[in-house]
Amino acid sequence: MSEPAARPAPLSTAAAARRVFELSFGEMLWSRRTIFMALVVGGPVLLAIIFRIVEAFGAPALRVNGARVAGGSVFGVMIWMLYIRFIVPVLGLFYGTALMADEVEDRTLTYLFTRPIPRGAVLLGKYLAYLACTSLVVLPSVMLTYFLTVPFAQVASTFRSLVLDLALLGAGLAVYGAVFAFVGARLKRPLVSGLVFAFGWEQLALALPGYLRQFTVAHHLQSLVPHTMPADSTLSAIQGLFRQTTSVPGALAALGLLLVVFLWLAMRTVARREYVLEQ
Amino acid sequence: MAAKTRYFVLTAAGILTAGLTTGLVASYMGGLPVALSHQAGPDDLAFVPPDAIAVGYANVQEVMASELRQRLRRLQDANPDSPDRHDFEEKTGVNVERDIDAVVGALLPAATGARDGNPLVLARGRFDQVRIEGMARDHGGEVSDYEGVRVIAHTGDEKTMALGFLAPGVVAVGSIESVKGAIDAKRSGRNVMSNTEIMRLVGELDGNNAWAVGRFDAMASTTGLPGDLQQKMPTLSWFSAAGHLNGGITGTFKAEAKDDEAAKNLRDMMRGVVAMVRLQSDSKPEMRAFVDSLQLGGEGKTVAVGFSVPAEMFDALEKMHEARRPAEVR
Repeated sequence: MSEPAARPAPLSTAAAARRVFELSFGEMLWSRRTIFMALVVGGPVLLAIIFRIVEAFGAPALRVNGARVAGGSVFGVMIWMLYIRFIVPVLGLFYGTALMADEVEDRTLTYLFTRPIPRGAVLLGKYLAYLACTSLVVLPSVMLTYFLTVPFAQVASTFRSLVLDLALLGAGLAVYGAVFAFVGARLKRPLVSGLVFAFGWEQLALALPGYLRQFTVAHHLQSLVPHTMPADSTLSAIQGLFRQTTSVPGALAALGLLLVVFLWLAMRTVARREYVLEQ
Repeated sequence: MAAKTRYFVLTAAGILTAGLTTGLVASYMGGLPVALSHQAGPDDLAFVPPDAIAVGYANVQEVMASELRQRLRRLQDANPDSPDRHDFEEKTGVNVERDIDAVVGALLPAATGARDGNPLVLARGRFDQVRIEGMARDHGGEVSDYEGVRVIAHTGDEKTMALGFLAPGVVAVGSIESVKGAIDAKRSGRNVMSNTEIMRLVGELDGNNAWAVGRFDAMASTTGLPGDLQQKMPTLSWFSAAGHLNGGITGTFKAEAKDDEAAKNLRDMMRGVVAMVRLQSDSKPEMRAFVDSLQLGGEGKTVAVGFSVPAEMFDALEKMHEARRPAEVR
């Protein structure tokens, strides 16, 4: 009588997350969602190209109330208005909420859960794939936008700000991704809830005086931005009036805490929740 | 990893690496190599010594031809009490509007034991050297030769002022030390263009027809700013101001603080001031356009304020001026 085949030893969380990352990274990168990401991230680069062409002909590309706006300021406004306020939360929302939802929708979750790996590692691996995928699209786009808008003569004086921008955009993608990964793992309609959080709650809390802003990702992230906050709308003018920045260590600690707590909650939710696949 | 994924990762990493390397090289060298970055500022900066505290520039021809200047000239012509603008021409033989193209000004460190800095003005244009020398001699000036350059010196009550013909069409005016410093700067090639801090700021001001940059703390001590004011602005290191005159004036004032924290505090304070001014402007409609144009900017250690005074505002001020003048003058 032959002995039954030995069951493979279950992988550790780190090793399992790495396997899931390898599987998910390419899949995520070439998904339909990436077309959306390319369009969103390509916008600032396109604007920067137009800016550079107009400036090359000696004409001021951007004037505010008749005053010429310098390339460095244009880049600062792009970081604030396009990347910090829109691109980072939107990418975190669309990718983060879909980490588990896609597997449920495609009914492929069963294949992952029947493997001898911790369930939480599935989410961790997919989260790392999201982070790599978005960072590799967003950060080069910021780099291109920077060199297209900022004159070469100002590179030396503004390079430190660029490095800070890259670091805080990476941090933003990580924290928003963790928050929305939890929302995606926990709630039934994560996209709607995520939209309400990112463009409802966060915007409202930032405009109110008091401590409510401490419960937003945006407040801590915006405390680290090296550029001046533009007053482009009534809402941002009110937000600017009541703006209280946290110290750099405080903001970093808050972002780190949010990242760890929400990622842990998301992994715990995936490990405990019974997913019912609709037939 | 699939081949196309690998190519994508390599391309993205390549863009990031190339950008970061370029930025690091620029930061380390104080700027990008000349091949990549054109020389900022006017050529006459070659006459400014490298230790200049502040440097300024004005494109006189553009400023004089601007609509704003024409408007001010009409106002001046209409005012019988205004000083005669032909007075300067009669004394020096130089018509500013016709003969001067551009002016570079600089403030050099004070001589040992002296309190005030040494001013230097470099004018580029068309000058009648013989006539100017003759006039200087008539007023007690002494002509000498310094490193092959004709220098006219005039000793007053406290200082010796001088004028030197540095090159065809370039005249230097200032203290004897600063004029000699300008001659030495050009001859030795050691000039303000090698001052990376000043040239970095000058490089940001392209496209303006008048600008000034300088070290705020050094200027505050050499120009004798009141002690209270100096104490209230201890965190500022560099400043730059630039303006473009045509129908109106557009300009920016930028200051660099000692550190990010000081700049952030200053920006917060300025934001409050701008918001307050905006609220107040409702009662003064003639100031509305100017107040709306105030833009606060800056990043890291810098604080910047941009403004624009449109031509319409000068119209309003002109009307106010007309209304206040006595009827017999009108």
